[in-house]
Amino acid sequence: MKGLLTTAGGMAVANWGALTHSQSLAQEVRRAGKRCIMLYMGGGASQIDTFDMKPGRPTSGEFRPVQTNVTGIQVCEYLPNIARHADKLGIIRSMRTRTPDHGPGGYYMHTGYHPSERFPHPEVGAMIAKYCENPESDLPSFVKIGSQSGIYGAGYLGPQYEPFVVDEDGRVPNFVNPTVSPEIQARRGDLLNFMEQRFAEQRSGEPFAAHRTAELRTLRLMRARQVFNVSAEWERAKERYGDNRFGRGCFTALKLVEAGVSFVEVAHGNHDTHMDNFPISKALYATMDPAWGALLDDLTQRGLLRDTLVVWTSEFGRTPAINVRAGRDHFGRAWTTVLAGGGIRGGQHYGSTDRDGFEVAENPVNEADYVATIYRTMGINPRARHYLGSRPIWATAEGARPIQQLIGQ
Amino acid sequence: MLGNRIAMISLAIGLLVPAFVHAQDVPLRDIIDREIKAGWRKEKLSAPGTSTDTVFLRRLYLDLVGMIPTYDETTAFLKDADPKKREKLIDKLLADPRYARQQAQVFDLAMLTRNHNLVGGTVGYRNRGRFREWLATQFAANEPYDRIAAKILQAEEDGSQLFFAVYNNTDEMVTSVSRFFLGTQIQCAKCHDHPYEPWTQKDYHGMSGFFVRTMAVEVPGKPEITNQKGKQYRVGEKTVGEALFSLEKIDPKTKKKETIPIPPKFLLGDVLKEPETPKGFAEPKLKPGEVPPKPAFSRRTKFIDWMTAKENPFFAKAIANRVWAQFMGRGFVHPVDDFNAQNPPSNPELLKAIEKELVAHKFDYKWLVREIVNSQAYQIEDVGKVTDAMPRFYERARIRPLIVEELIASLHIATGLGVESALKKEPSPDLLKYLGEPADGQGRFQGSLSEHLFLHNGDQFRGMCRPNKGNLPEHLLMSNEPWEAKVEKMFLSVLSRPATSEERERFVKYLNVDEKNAKDAKSAKTPAGQLPGVQRMEDAMWVLVSCSEFRFNR
Repeated sequence: MKGLLTTAGGMAVANWGALTHSQSLAQEVRRAGKRCIMLYMGGGASQIDTFDMKPGRPTSGEFRPVQTNVTGIQVCEYLPNIARHADKLGIIRSMRTRTPDHGPGGYYMHTGYHPSERFPHPEVGAMIAKYCENPESDLPSFVKIGSQSGIYGAGYLGPQYEPFVVDEDGRVPNFVNPTVSPEIQARRGDLLNFMEQRFAEQRSGEPFAAHRTAELRTLRLMRARQVFNVSAEWERAKERYGDNRFGRGCFTALKLVEAGVSFVEVAHGNHDTHMDNFPISKALYATMDPAWGALLDDLTQRGLLRDTLVVWTSEFGRTPAINVRAGRDHFGRAWTTVLAGGGIRGGQHYGSTDRDGFEVAENPVNEADYVATIYRTMGINPRARHYLGSRPIWATAEGARPIQQLIGQ
Repeated sequence: MLGNRIAMISLAIGLLVPAFVHAQDVPLRDIIDREIKAGWRKEKLSAPGTSTDTVFLRRLYLDLVGMIPTYDETTAFLKDADPKKREKLIDKLLADPRYARQQAQVFDLAMLTRNHNLVGGTVGYRNRGRFREWLATQFAANEPYDRIAAKILQAEEDGSQLFFAVYNNTDEMVTSVSRFFLGTQIQCAKCHDHPYEPWTQKDYHGMSGFFVRTMAVEVPGKPEITNQKGKQYRVGEKTVGEALFSLEKIDPKTKKKETIPIPPKFLLGDVLKEPETPKGFAEPKLKPGEVPPKPAFSRRTKFIDWMTAKENPFFAKAIANRVWAQFMGRGFVHPVDDFNAQNPPSNPELLKAIEKELVAHKFDYKWLVREIVNSQAYQIEDVGKVTDAMPRFYERARIRPLIVEELIASLHIATGLGVESALKKEPSPDLLKYLGEPADGQGRFQGSLSEHLFLHNGDQFRGMCRPNKGNLPEHLLMSNEPWEAKVEKMFLSVLSRPATSEERERFVKYLNVDEKNAKDAKSAKTPAGQLPGVQRMEDAMWVLVSCSEFRFNR
């Protein structure tokens, strides 16, 4: 481990690195593997009003498509920033999923498994943390910005991979802030080290080592907590991202993956537009589009996009039919998710829906296929095997097929 | 094929029923040591030494009464020169009311898990409280285990009903009864025949037949009472109702898979013989909080009779293995609820012997615990190069994190608040949240960031370590004893052992600082009027309750 010296007794002694130096940050990024940012559209984002528009059809609604920087790809007129990045997007227009309810839908899209199985399946973020985490990083490997999109947890992967939840403006939870002065913390830390070191001399048990390691990681996190504080830089970035919670969340996510966090989830919403779909959606896109666009801009400029997968997803889409209150309802039969970066072959659609958008016309993708695609992109074997007690459980269920057409390997 | 199948079955569960059921002359503790040593020889493992008195003392207190020993209890034991003092202590703790309480906690958690609906969170914790009180009554009276098991499944006594309230549908009942009481995992056979076991879907649905009529309801009560004391439940059984098995055939009318009723069938046994349901019987309509009238013929009762019969091929073996695992860290069969042909026991002869003796002793639970903790195998040392938390052949004492109940009680003892106070305290929601589930899916301990952030910066640990009304840190701060004696008292109180000379020196140096010294006082932010040294006393206590030595039972 970087930042640690291991003594003969097996006790690691903290040796603080200069984490906040930009140079060491850059090194971290180069050395570590892939990262993932998930933009989760809570409530269920409409596909027909965004990436799978049906101009001239009864289901089309009020929005008009515009041309993007890729011939043949059109998006909603209210997504001008995303339109600039269409060459990076793998647009899956053929999601066909099983749960029309928010709770189960959120579970399914976060884990790839149906909630009725009752096993505590880890969410995507925990799995990515397990396989992609940089053990040298001072930061947690799985961060959720806000708990709005649900906490599904690390399940059988264990508490080491539980999400670390920070406030929507990136503020860390209270317990991260030391309640004693640095002097006291240092001197009592020395005393604790002394006790642990003596204890470990004759005792090689794994749980003891796990306890000491977690203590050291915690100290490092408390030292590095300033990474979460993006206030100063935010002043310069907020115009591009949009001065709102989602904008700031996306910017914090950028800073965190840059600092070595493997997975960050940012929620946006509420997209549950059962009535007045069009004015509400227009307002939602006005915050969603600049933040997402600026995030892709910054990742590209900093050379991070190649190793950072950006996922745009929901628990389901919305009905093509417009209801009597000018709303759209829950819809899982044919909807859209979008992947970019991390090696995804951009500038293409995958799958399609029929002319009114009621059914998938070609290449249906289910929850497990979608999760398997994310895992494959991140370099994780979608059939990685784990155990709950004696029962084997796989990262994604048998039959899950990653979408090869989007994975540029 | 059939012959093959039968061979597999007997291999899988060892149908050999104890041929005679009177107790052997050799005490079980000696059989345990003979077999464990034979295991070490067979595996070419060097025999470990015996634990020191201090290690044994702490291990036994945590295992039997769920908290560390007090300062007085520790010094009394260490002073005692009687060569039989370990045996004496075991008898004393088995007679202590805390034994029943601890056993109830362990049982409740094993049966209902930490976070299941109804028992998660603060209100859920109180639901457990009611159930634990009932369980503790059973263990205090040393009710035979087969009776306790029967009463849990009968669910008639006040407080005993939580098992069915938590597992309140047929599938969960079948799964949890099989896992907890029979040590088997038949739930896989719900959707497919088991890949390597004799269980078929018919076995699974045959088991369902016994529980399909069972239901638990909440007794309506005022929230201000139920929130404080836990909810009450009633469990009843309907007179009709069948387990249904879905066929692949689609019913042309309903467009759904056709189903057929499956009669109740004992696991690897016969189909239940039962009387015809009275003609024209109709279930009465139930009001909220009501259960059906007792049926003339109860399938669940038939299941309980079968399960607790002494020739049952699963029941005694499952509990023998489970109690062993509770004290030795790991079952002969591990995990404890997964007996199957692919998962052979580490010490098959010993498992068989314990099972047989337990039946001969009429499921005397306390007797079994007494024999295990009196064995040399239980009392082995905690040091060495083995890294495994739960060594397969018991070649080093197991390492397990304290459960939060043990942790909060032990914090009270460590800070000198006494047993009464330790017994009253229930774990805070934060403690449950950050330290409640410290393991992965296979029971391996994982230290989490949240746990340590909470230790560092949450108020609970720091608050208890701060010198305060009548606690040990305050007492030490006020007393005129020499610093060496204070440190000694601190170590005996928190870690249940004397300090080493190096530790004594280090802690005295840490504590014995004149905080009127301007620089130090400033850094410690000592409020005006506060005794000097308060912060350093808190630090030293905090270090002792935060280190691995306190966190684990070893």
